[in-house]
Amino acid sequence: MPEKEPSICEEKVYNELFRKYYEPVTKYIYYKCGNLHQAEDIVQNVFIKIWKLCATIIFSKAKSYIYTASNNAFLNEIEHKKVILKHKKTIEKHTDYESPDFKIEMEEFRVKLKDAINSLSPKEKEVFLLSRVEDKTYKEIAEITGLTVKAIERRMSKALKELRETLGKHIKV
Amino acid sequence: MMKNYETDDTFLGRWIAGELSEEELVAFKETEAYKQFIIINNESQLLDGPDIDTEKALKTVKQRIGQKHLKPKTIKLWQAISVAAILIIAMNLLLNSSKTYTNGIGESQIIVLEDGSEINLNANSSLSLKRFFWSNDKTVNLEGEAYFTINKGDDFKVETAKGTIKVLGTEFNVKDRSYFEVKCFEGRVEFIPNNDSSSSRILTKGKQVIIKDTKIEDLIFKEEFPSWTKGISKFDEKPMYLVLEELTQYFDINFESTNININRLYSGSFNHIDLDLALKATLVPMGINYRKSKTENTFILSE
Repeated sequence: MPEKEPSICEEKVYNELFRKYYEPVTKYIYYKCGNLHQAEDIVQNVFIKIWKLCATIIFSKAKSYIYTASNNAFLNEIEHKKVILKHKKTIEKHTDYESPDFKIEMEEFRVKLKDAINSLSPKEKEVFLLSRVEDKTYKEIAEITGLTVKAIERRMSKALKELRETLGKHIKV
Repeated sequence: MMKNYETDDTFLGRWIAGELSEEELVAFKETEAYKQFIIINNESQLLDGPDIDTEKALKTVKQRIGQKHLKPKTIKLWQAISVAAILIIAMNLLLNSSKTYTNGIGESQIIVLEDGSEINLNANSSLSLKRFFWSNDKTVNLEGEAYFTINKGDDFKVETAKGTIKVLGTEFNVKDRSYFEVKCFEGRVEFIPNNDSSSSRILTKGKQVIIKDTKIEDLIFKEEFPSWTKGISKFDEKPMYLVLEELTQYFDINFESTNININRLYSGSFNHIDLDLALKATLVPMGINYRKSKTENTFILSE
């Protein structure tokens, strides 16, 4: 017997959905538009809509609804800005591959990496950031974007190739 | 020679996901580009997206939704339950509400109940009964003393702190003060003590039961009606403290009795009209001197 789905009309359930999906969806939209304020606006509007339609949205379908609706809202807005990426605080430790003949300073390289990621095409950038920064599996990305895993593998490959083309000359090993 | 990562358009994607075959990986590691890809991949994973304050956003969203849309069904159910509960409690309070007759010191009144029964409520006493549907369960609660003239026919109950008196058409007096007393003047009454219902007893005309401390005693008496109903208190070898207590039921006075023996027995009577006469009738025969204190209505007794 299938278990009864919790109702999104209950504030507790709604809050749970919000706390679970608000951040990842906002980041996803941010990676597409590069404007955090705009991304938060889009996702908040989606959540307001969910509250109004709470009786018609099935709990188990809510995740896909939130992503799809946010993406659709994003597509209706035109402004695309550069994605601002920060470095994680734990960055200092990761130096095992550094060799003395490294041609440029690491700091300089990191700035160039961020620029290079930003100059990827939107399709590649989105997949690359979801995979590398948000740590999502291809299966999860497929679920969010509606792409096949194969298409994601292609986009990742293309993104990496492009990044190497841009940055390769700065990495002499 | 063209490298795999250049010819196979899913190769690098599969490498990231760790899905290259052993052979593919070994060959890939041989290439010059491998170390560059490693660095690009590692450095990319050290990047972080924007900080997002989910709780703040939730607050914003709720403000935008507006308070009236929020807190839906569950709260409404609670409101309904609260209203229902209040109604039930109110109905209960109303249906169980009681009417209380209270007499102050020296006052008395005759209460006629809806079935025609009469209750003569003595001074400093109170009687309460249910306001609605009393006829279904004729019960009255008594504190103090009252003389009951009950019409024949129905069950009638008097509840006191010490016990219940059940009657069938009779006249009886109940006194629940320092000591407890039921006197039956006509017909039959049943007395059921609160703390020991097995020692209940039936009183007929001229029989009385008293409770001293917790001991129940059966006695007989001769008078035709309680003397207090005629404005007189009578005592037959009763200790002085009961006499003094009885005086305070009819007159608004106190006694300072630490200097006398309050257990000495008194026989006699006083009337409820004149305090001076009452004091003379009770204290003088016992050789007790009394003087009024300046401040209060207190009489200081000495022997």
